[in-house]
Amino acid sequence: MFSADLFANAVVSGLLLGGFYAAVAIGLAIVFGQLDIVNIAHPAFIIAGSYTAYIFNSTFGFDPVLVGVAAMPVFFAVGVAIYRIYYAAFERTGQESLSGLAFFFGLMFIIEVSLILVYGVDYRLVSAGYATGALSIGFVDLPGRMLVPFLVALALTGLIWLYLSRTFMGRAIQAVAQDRGALQLMGADPIRIKQWAFGIGIATAAVAGALLIIIGPVEPSVGRQYIGRAFAIVVLGGMGSIQGMLIAALLLGVVENMVATFYGPSWAPAVSFGILLLTLAFRPAGLFGR
Amino acid sequence: MALSLEIRGVEAGYGAVRALHGVSLDIRDTETVALLGTNGNGKSTLMKCVMGMVRPTQGSIVLGLDGAQHDLTRLSTEQIVNLGVALVPEGRRLFPKLTVQENLLLGAFRPLARGAIAKNLAFCYEAFPVLQERRRQLAGSMSGGQQQMLAIARALMSAPRLLLVDEPSVGLAPILVSSTVSKIKELKERYGLTVLMAEQNFHQAIRIADRGYIIVHGEIVFDGRSVAELEQNDLVKRYYLGT
Ligand SMILES: Nc1ncnc2c1ncn2[C@@H]1O[C@H](COP(=O)(O)OP(=O)(O)OP(=O)(O)O)[C@@H](O)[C@H]1O
Ligand SMILES: [Mg+2]
Repeated sequence: MFSADLFANAVVSGLLLGGFYAAVAIGLAIVFGQLDIVNIAHPAFIIAGSYTAYIFNSTFGFDPVLVGVAAMPVFFAVGVAIYRIYYAAFERTGQESLSGLAFFFGLMFIIEVSLILVYGVDYRLVSAGYATGALSIGFVDLPGRMLVPFLVALALTGLIWLYLSRTFMGRAIQAVAQDRGALQLMGADPIRIKQWAFGIGIATAAVAGALLIIIGPVEPSVGRQYIGRAFAIVVLGGMGSIQGMLIAALLLGVVENMVATFYGPSWAPAVSFGILLLTLAFRPAGLFGR
Repeated sequence: MALSLEIRGVEAGYGAVRALHGVSLDIRDTETVALLGTNGNGKSTLMKCVMGMVRPTQGSIVLGLDGAQHDLTRLSTEQIVNLGVALVPEGRRLFPKLTVQENLLLGAFRPLARGAIAKNLAFCYEAFPVLQERRRQLAGSMSGGQQQMLAIARALMSAPRLLLVDEPSVGLAPILVSSTVSKIKELKERYGLTVLMAEQNFHQAIRIADRGYIIVHGEIVFDGRSVAELEQNDLVKRYYLGT
């Protein structure tokens, strides 16, 4: 029944989960929140990140987080290439809303099917020393497989926030969807800014994927469980606000975990959609929308 | 250190709408030139042509810069900005969801302006103290007058040498119109700028202009070589001075 330590544990493990959700959503906070590109394939890129970590971990024994970080430039380049195609095929001609959605849907299938063809539908996992241990503070448990992703996700979020708010490129990324013509008048090329931002968004998936496979085993289609969550977090966070996104992610983690603890795990996935609908109905600008 | 802008026979429009018919004009170093015309006569279109935002179908726009000649009709807007040309656009075109300071810092995006950012920011805040007070406020939540100041300050942050200002007086209370126009003159002198200012407010424009052109239906109908010549012009008397 209800008890203080069950409650405290549910809150703490919810926060740890929510931190990880921030890593899942941050790429979308840039790509969807700031560029208005509905990249529903983002979670599929995260799964690709998980498999990258898996491959290097199982073959060479490399640490999954390090593999995730090292893979960022490659994911960045892939992101740039994809934006180029997306721009040339859809955005330039103003067809991005429907055809663009189909494009990302197709991309999601290609990634999933390629992974299935090569690795099958078995669950894959990584081994890392910290993933099996746990830290106990009083009656609260901090399992390493949740704590490490939480800390890495916070670091990633902090770095992206600094980049967006403190650099010329970051400010241009924030401005590009607001008025691209005005951005040209500042001497910036909107297409270059967007492809750079899209590349960064996809690069975060390399890290998020590594975190996902540290938390638990992964198979090619688990990414789908994160589509609703990631979009709900970005909308709740106020479309593109990084601080808002982080708070929304932590909130979702805690609420989901409470629901799972006190009502049963089968309800947890419904939470994000519930939050998404409530946000759209009562506070469409999100909690922290500008 | 010389600058000149030479516009020759520019034709431009939007699809089937022809907005400019063989427009020619010249701007020389450190001048303030007024482009006078009432609504819909092509002032903004000409400014957009200079900035590479509208492509002329004919004619040339050449920026002379320290001996080098740049054909602006072949350059992108970004390249033109990087040469040191800035536009305070019609409608201000601020980034409404960014703060005042973020808008100003974006003004300094071009590599040449980044080095001087601290100096230029300090100067903008000195010239427009209200922007400093409100530097954390979202640009979209400022009053019309404050937004116009921000738009001018943001253009200055790019450390331009040629400043184009499209109707600074539009939407401002009469008392603000006069101070905004005076400010442009002050800034111009301080930075040694060359200024092309589109206006329909004749009285305000000639307060700071050295000379001006009158544009009607996309054609330059009068080239006033001095303020006195403009004031004597029949068109001006008829349309602006009400005599
Ligand atoms: N985007 C556009 N599409 C079609 N026609 C346009 C467009 N912009 C301007 N025009 C037309 O081009 C002509 C010149 O317009 P322009 O905006 O250059 O005038 P203006 O002198 O700046 O007027 P105002 O003082 O009202 O700003 C007008 O007839 C206008 O209707
Ligand atoms: Mg105009």
